[in-house]
This record gives sequence, C-alpha cells and structure tokens, in this order.
Amino acid sequence: MLSIQRPDENPCRPRHFKPPPCAPIVTDTEASARIETCRTRMLVAGVLFIAIFAIVGIRLAQITLISGAAAEPHIARAKPALPPPERSDIVDRNGALLATTLDSPNLYADPRQIIDAKAATKALLTVLPELDANKVYADLTSDKKFVYLKQRLTPQQHYDVNRLGIPGLMFEQGWRRYYPFGSLAAHVVGYTDSDNKGRVGVEHGENALLDEHQGSLQLSLDARVQFVLRDELSKVVDQFNAKGAAGIIMDVHTGEVIAMVSLPDFDPNHPGAANENVPPGQVNQAIFNKVTLGDYELGSVFKIFNTAMALDSGTATMTSQFDARNDIHIGRFTISDYHGKHRMLSVPEIFMYSSNLGSARMAVAAGTWRQQDFLARLGILEKPNGFQLDEIANPHYPHGKAWSEISTMTIAYGHGIAVSPLECVTGVAAIVNGGIWHPATLLKVPADVQPPGQRVISPKTSEEMRKLMRLVVEFGTAKFAAAPGYVVGGKTGTAEKNKHGHYEETTLVSTFIGAFPMTDPRYVILALVDEPHGDKQTHGYATAGWTVAPATSRIISRIAPLLGIAPVDESSPAVTQALQVDSLAGKRIEDY
Amino acid sequence: MSRVGAIFWLGMAMTACVVMFMINYAVQSLQGDLDKVRKQTVAEQLEIRVLHAEWSYLTQPERLAALNKQFLSLTPVATKQLQGNIAEIPMRPIAEPPAEAIASAAPAPAPAAGLELPAAAGQSRLDALFAQASGQAQPVATLRATPVALTAPASQGPGIDALFAQVASER
Repeated sequence: MLSIQRPDENPCRPRHFKPPPCAPIVTDTEASARIETCRTRMLVAGVLFIAIFAIVGIRLAQITLISGAAAEPHIARAKPALPPPERSDIVDRNGALLATTLDSPNLYADPRQIIDAKAATKALLTVLPELDANKVYADLTSDKKFVYLKQRLTPQQHYDVNRLGIPGLMFEQGWRRYYPFGSLAAHVVGYTDSDNKGRVGVEHGENALLDEHQGSLQLSLDARVQFVLRDELSKVVDQFNAKGAAGIIMDVHTGEVIAMVSLPDFDPNHPGAANENVPPGQVNQAIFNKVTLGDYELGSVFKIFNTAMALDSGTATMTSQFDARNDIHIGRFTISDYHGKHRMLSVPEIFMYSSNLGSARMAVAAGTWRQQDFLARLGILEKPNGFQLDEIANPHYPHGKAWSEISTMTIAYGHGIAVSPLECVTGVAAIVNGGIWHPATLLKVPADVQPPGQRVISPKTSEEMRKLMRLVVEFGTAKFAAAPGYVVGGKTGTAEKNKHGHYEETTLVSTFIGAFPMTDPRYVILALVDEPHGDKQTHGYATAGWTVAPATSRIISRIAPLLGIAPVDESSPAVTQALQVDSLAGKRIEDY
Repeated sequence: MSRVGAIFWLGMAMTACVVMFMINYAVQSLQGDLDKVRKQTVAEQLEIRVLHAEWSYLTQPERLAALNKQFLSLTPVATKQLQGNIAEIPMRPIAEPPAEAIASAAPAPAPAAGLELPAAAGQSRLDALFAQASGQAQPVATLRATPVALTAPASQGPGIDALFAQVASER
C-alpha cells in the first residue's frame, strides 16, 4: 500500500488523534487551581440562585393559580375592626336603648399656635356661648402649652368648632354616657360622673361588668310598662299633692322587675341639676330610690303575709273565726279597727275588712317564732343578696327579745316593722304564684332558663290567698282597683308614718299591692304614695283605696295588652268558681 | 452561543424586574384604597352608633305620647275593644225560608260550577267564605240585636269549621 505522502505537512492540521502541542505547555497549577475554585464557586452560587428563584416561582404559581385557600387568613385580617365601645350599652328587655356611649371629645388649645386670640375667642363664643369670654381669652394668651377649653363636647359642637377652622384648637379623644330616654328609668339605670364611673343604679351596681364591654347588658325592664307606671304615679302625686311615690311591677314566675319607678326622679343626662337646691345634710330626694332604699311601715299590706302564715301553718283555716269585738289593750297601747265590725270575723272577713284585731289574734294564735320563721323564709327580714342595685336598705324590725307579743300583734298588721317595697313585692309574688319564692332580678331571664327558686308555702295556701285577695277587690277596701276584665286581686294598706316615736295621723303612706289575672297570676304590682292629701274628689280621704287603687286599675288596663294578657269575662262561671270562697258562698257580704 | 444565552437571561431578568415593580405599585395603590375604605367604615359605624342613640331618643315613650296628644289624639285601647280571639265570634244564624217563598222567589242562583273554596295560599278561609257569601243572594235572616238561638247542625262543634260546613250545607 502506498502511503500518501503529502509534501507540505501542516503540523497543525486536525488529526484524529491529539497532536503534540505546538507550543510548549506551561502548566501554572496555582492559577488554574484558582480558576477552578472560582468556577466551582460561581457554579454553586448559580445553582443556589436558580434554586431560590425556582422556589419563589413555584410558590407564586401555587398561590395565584392553584389554591386561593392559603390567602384566606389574609382576607380575614382585612376586616375593619371598630373597637367595641369603652362601656357596654344598657338595653331593656325588648332591645330599647337605655344607656349608650357616645364620642365626646374634649376641646383644648395650644396657645403658642393661636394667631389672633381675640378673634378666636369671639368665634368660639358663637359656637359655645356658655363659656366665659374673659377666661377663654386668658387661656388663649397664656404661657401654657396645653389648656382645656371645654370638656365633653356634643357631636354638634364638635362639628361646629371644627368648622371654625381656628388653628391651635385641637380635640382630644373622649367619650361619655348618654341616656336617650331621659328620666324614664332614672333610678334603675343610674348615671355616671365625669370620670365615666357609675354612681347609682345599674351603672354603679354593675360597673365592672359594663367596663368589660362584652356586648350589651339586657335588663328585665320594659320601657313601655315603665312609662305607664311613671305616668300614672306622676298623676297621683300631682292630684294628691304628695311628697313622692314608688311603684314596682314584677313577673311572679321569674322574679324579673318589669318596671320600677320612684318619684321624684332626675334626668341622668344632667345629674348635676338634681344635686342643686338640696340643703346640706339632707338626702337628695330625687336621687333617693324609694323602692329599694325607702323603709316604710307598710301597714295592712302585711296582712297578706300574716294570713298566709296562719293558713300555711294550719293554725287557721278559711272557716276559722277570730274575735274582733273589742279593742285590745296592752300596756299603754291600744289596737283597734278602722271601721270596725265589732263581731266575730272569719278569716276571709278579717282580710276583706282589713281588721287589725283579727289579724293580731291570728298572729298570737300562730306564735312569735312561726311569724319570724315565715317572714324570714319570704326574705322580708334581710336585704336581697345579689341584686343589681347596690343601694338597698336593710329592713328594720325588733331584734331578739325585743320581738315581744306586742310586736307580734303589731307586725301582723304591718306596724313595728319597716321594709322596702322591693322586699315586700318579692314576698307577695311568692305567695300568689303557687308558693315558689324567686329572688328579684333586674337582668332579663331568657325564656328557656329556669330561674332559681324555693318553695315557701303550699300550692293550696297560695290558692286560698288568691281567693282572699280577689275578695278585697270585689267587695273590700280596693274596689277602685278593679280593672274590668283582668281579674285583679290585692290588698290595700294605709299606714301612719312614725315620726319621732309617735304616729302622725296626717302623714300617711298609702300602698296597694295587686296581682293579675288572679285566676293564674302573671304580674304583681305595688304602688305606694308618700304623704298624700285627700281632695274634694276623694271626700278628703287619702287612704290607699282612694289614692293608689284607682291608679293601679288604670295602670293594669294600659299594660295588660302590652304584656299579652287578654281580658276575660269576670262574671263567667269559669272565673267566679275558680275564685269563690266557699265559706262565703251564698251569703250577703257587707260593704266595707 | 453563550452570548445568546446571556442576552436571553438578561432580558428575562429585566422583564422580571419590570413586572415586579408593576405589581408592587398595584398592591400599594390597593393598600391605599383598603385603608381609605377601612377608615370610612369605621366612621360609618361610629355614625350608626350615634344614629341609634338619636333614634332611641326620638322614639321614647314620652315623646311619642306628646306627639300623639298634639297630632293624633289616640286614646288607650278600651277593654271592650279587646275581645279574645276569632273563635268567640258567634256563628251566623241559619235562615229559615218561609214555605210559599220557595215557589215564587227568583230561582236561587246556582253556585258556580266548580266553585270551591280556594285553598290558595294568600287568601284566608274567612275571606273565601265572605266572598262566597256575597255571591249568594238568598233571603238571609238579618242578624237581630238579641242573640239568636242558633240551630247548629248536630254533628258540628263550634268554630270556623262549623261555619264552613254551614255555608256548604246552604248550597
């Protein structure tokens, strides 16, 4: 084979094997090593960046394209959160607003920024005329850096001052309580002072709870019923020229206070006005809550408790007779009847004619310890525990040995013991509702919740008491309390006030306690008027039967439709037979 | 080759940069909108609270009573105006047509064929009864002032169902 001999051998032409290097190879191992490490590092860094961008890219794709679920927590945070008001609202049982918190900024000035103090003062006084011009001018020209001009502006004042556009006037965040219903539920709701701390009422009693601002506080009060009660009691006070009045309506099955009024009252939006004109050392009558703080000797109303005690303990029955012929003389005391019948009276007659003698003898027959035990069971002898108002008075009664036989007799017809209307009504509610005593409460009890209660009298006694109370309204002292169709039953009580140890005939406390409808009582109502004076219409009488009983009849007629109680035919056999007192059946009943 | 690659990646980087800033500005402006809307909502909620208080003030019972006195003069509902429920309304007295009137009287209008008391929703049975009753011009004994001894069918009890059956039996 002839090998092809090329004449001009190019030593550098490509050959299929690696030719020997043309130039001498100079191996700089150090430099190449460095280049190698450099290249490695760049590679690593490049890989790292690619990895990071890859992760970001994948995550981006995942969030935007694949699943939006992961984004939801972010959406939830986007909801605007208005911070809850600094103090809870107070609402009534139907949601009507009784007390609320409104922004009420404080106006302050930085005198260094005031340009023309005189013009500023003039402008400010057009909007806030109650400010003192000289004081404002002095403040605006003073050396201080911060001076308050007016505290607690109303929203309208805030807007107007802002509109003036005076530089140097600024607003500080603040708030105050506002009571839209004014003086309607003044004693129940109470008021707050300038530090926004509650002073009386629920504002004070539940101060801590309100400051926690967990939703609004729902009371058991019904504003409509409250209005009716206040309206009618005001009319009574006006008509009989009385010092004041108190009223309370309670649901017998739950102990909820549906309405509570004490007159005179005040406007919680301007509590300062009530504090003026009060002589030093005297109790402010407007802020004094007669229903809870007032201790009254309630008089014949106590015969409800006395009769219930005697019937429940078995020491008397509906047919028992007691001696009411002659006055009782013990020591220097004389017990007598008002419009006495001067004969033996049965228990229904004693109750109907409100006989002090009969009641005293019933109590003596039952015994002192039974009386004490019964009254204690009904919560009459101590102030209620856990009521939402702090201002409650302790009842006054003789202690220990001082509760003698004479005390037993007088307490039987309501003298010698002073209780507040709240305690009295709670006890009567237990007597008419079948015998279960529920503590009074100002907070709404939900419909499905069973309120706490304990049995104090038997259902039979409760039924007998209902019949007796119906007798009083049908034939007895409280004829004017009969609201037609609502089967009202109750008891009147006219007590002379005990001043400085002796009873004054001209200063009375007239009370009526009623419950309706007597066939199955739903509500009990107490109306009390303090120092009424008879007028021509009542022939000069200022007793409960003439003063508060007619008002109670009007109250019941007005509130029964609101409370969902339908009128019934009072002469129908269903009603008359349910409430008939057997021992009086067929007899002619004397007029009181 | 690497030059093309370098240019490509550079281009990609710049595009990414531009897109990133565009998205950033868009998010910022959205954030601004969100803050504005949030502030507006808070202001509205505060205003609602004030309006709630104002509404309560304007609807307080005392003010409504004063307005009533001034404009409407409505009196409280009297007890005699509240009478139980519909079951207490006495039944319509059954007419007793005199014997000779049957021949001479105009033929009683035949009830429209297929006229049934519509059980349609929205029309109460009572409305239907009244509608049907007005269609029948029969000699009905006028309701007298004194209560009438009603001759109710023996098998029926009192109530709306009885009235129903009574009208049906008069066809």
